Amino acid sequence: MTKLISFDIDGTLEVGDPPGCITLDMVRAAKASGCIIGSCSDRTVSNQQRIWETAGIDMAFTVLKHQLDTVKERFPAADYYHIGDTDLDKQYAERNGFHFLLPDVEVVQLWEGGD
Amino acid sequence: MTNSNDFQWRRDRDGLGVWEHRGKVAIAGYGHSPVDRRWDGENLDTSLGAYTILACQKAMEQAGVTIDQVDGIVCCDSHIAGGSGGSASNWAPRPYFAPPYDSEYGITLINAQWLIGAMGFKNVKFAPTGVPTIGEMVGMASQAVGDGVCNTCLVIYPTGNLEGRYRRGGENADDYARGARQWTVPWGNHGGNDFINIFPHNQYCLKYGGEHDDLAPFVINQHKNGMLTPWGFNVNHGVEPITVEDYKTSRYILNPLRIWDCDRPVNASVAYLFTTAERARDMKSQPVYVLNHSQHNFRFRTTQPDLDEVEMWTDRQAARMYEGAGMGPADVDIFNPYDGYAIMTQFFLEGFQWHGVKRGDAFAFYAGDISVKGPHPFFSSGGNLGNGRTRSAMYTDSIEQLRGTAGDRQVTVRAETALCAFTTPSSGGWLMLGKYPS
Amino acid sequence: MPKVIPVPDELSQPFWDAVNQRRLMIQYCTVCGKLQYPPQATCQVCGSAHNLEWKEVEGKGHIGAYITIEDGRLNRRMPDQPYNLAMVTLDADPTVNFYSNLPGTPAYEVPVGAAVELTFEEVAPGQLIHEWRVLE
Repeated sequence: MTKLISFDIDGTLEVGDPPGCITLDMVRAAKASGCIIGSCSDRTVSNQQRIWETAGIDMAFTVLKHQLDTVKERFPAADYYHIGDTDLDKQYAERNGFHFLLPDVEVVQLWEGGD
Repeated sequence: MTNSNDFQWRRDRDGLGVWEHRGKVAIAGYGHSPVDRRWDGENLDTSLGAYTILACQKAMEQAGVTIDQVDGIVCCDSHIAGGSGGSASNWAPRPYFAPPYDSEYGITLINAQWLIGAMGFKNVKFAPTGVPTIGEMVGMASQAVGDGVCNTCLVIYPTGNLEGRYRRGGENADDYARGARQWTVPWGNHGGNDFINIFPHNQYCLKYGGEHDDLAPFVINQHKNGMLTPWGFNVNHGVEPITVEDYKTSRYILNPLRIWDCDRPVNASVAYLFTTAERARDMKSQPVYVLNHSQHNFRFRTTQPDLDEVEMWTDRQAARMYEGAGMGPADVDIFNPYDGYAIMTQFFLEGFQWHGVKRGDAFAFYAGDISVKGPHPFFSSGGNLGNGRTRSAMYTDSIEQLRGTAGDRQVTVRAETALCAFTTPSSGGWLMLGKYPS
Repeated sequence: MPKVIPVPDELSQPFWDAVNQRRLMIQYCTVCGKLQYPPQATCQVCGSAHNLEWKEVEGKGHIGAYITIEDGRLNRRMPDQPYNLAMVTLDADPTVNFYSNLPGTPAYEVPVGAAVELTFEEVAPGQLIHEWRVLE
């Protein structure tokens, strides 16, 4: 089964406020590699969807930060990852069985490194 | 420099009677800087110092006042994001820039002394130190002008925010709780008006009926009004209005306090120009008149204020303000209280009985038409929730409503008096403004 | 729970000494007859500094209100989230209240209005804090 990767936005993605180090091209690469990808943020769902529409990236899910549990229910995957920049990201990730990763260029290994 | 403690300017007691300078002091101009989420630590054109200079220039320009005419500066030197933690509490020491940015002043702190040097004011005779926040500064300036301590006074309120998560770290990362924190922090209360007011809010819901999410129409309306405020953070940074569903599905911070009940720290500055009513009549823009100012700083009787205390405090605030202005609830057209957390606003609305709202009626009032074009244009500024934590929207909107320059926010009901504040139930201040001096 | 550790000062030392002996001692004004907590330098009613004494009170109270902390700012408590924070009024004088995490009561399941009794919790070797437990 595939990997599922959840991206926080603010402080994590380059389009966040503050900008993070994860570029939209990195997100596209994750999707192209076959990962199930989506965003999980305190931004409203409609705002998240607008970001992805503008970027031309089709996300499998856009959820609020405290709704990671619903992602796991909806999408079977081999491994679940959440990339975010705060203690709260870590808290919600670990509570819901996601591996937690800080935004770092090294995270590309998730989708470049194969299974 | 004059310390603010040396000048008896406060109107913070019950029964002081009508303010002796009622209608004799005016606001003749205001200026806002851009409102950014935070300063990047590098661009000196967007530093708190640069933004404060810009705000002062705009206020003076609007009033048609030159630097040489300014003889009073009231500036709060506290920065919002510091103090209790986060990267903000560890900013210094660090490398500085060329003057006037060769110290923390101009970067994260602004005071009158720095501003006088940076802008070249030559005739300032009133520039107190130890100045409180904007809720009280406007009263201090009003009294100073009324008493003749100064004649043309800039009130400046800078709000700083730098990189890093708000108030993470610092003493909030400490394993120990010292001073007043020993009574709260061991149980998880790190301090702030979210904690102070959420308990009385819960008691309010129990006492009068209703539930926390009855705040949704109010919070949504604040966002709508913020989108009608050209200088505000939300309208300039892609923060879209929220829906009832957005509100009701949003994350809890201190359950039942939701993330949308909390304002957003920003980096910005604002300036207001106070002068005598007599001088203001000849200035460039339409003046609005100060009809009263009042302050309060109520002591907690124990660890956590309860609903009884909060209601008593806000009743007393209202009584002081109305007495000093010689007015009553029915005389107030524009009402801009405070909303740093949405959970405290109903206490002000009911304490001041604006549009006849009595204790326990606020949620029903919120459910009605509180839009700026309706019959009850509550909080027409959008407050902090609609504009970011500048703590100035209440004042600027009140001035604009009285002038008739609020644009898309302009109310359709009468707008001849306005009550505005930066306050919490326990401490802060109120300002009553009038289109006319009497 | 890795709670934050209170640091007694000159004013609060008698209070924490008593807590460490599993007793609840509250400041008491011999003129006004008023209990006050947290301790202060003067009586908040009459302003007297010389008539304040310490009085042991019975550890009985009621839950006045509560919240559940889901996103607090205290690093040390983040692993505990979500956890309850209750306002407990003292039966001996309901205008005096205390915070409590209500040990033994699951998050979100706080019986507002319920009776509670005093208990103590060690937050560091030799340092207790006062806590409150819901009576069955």
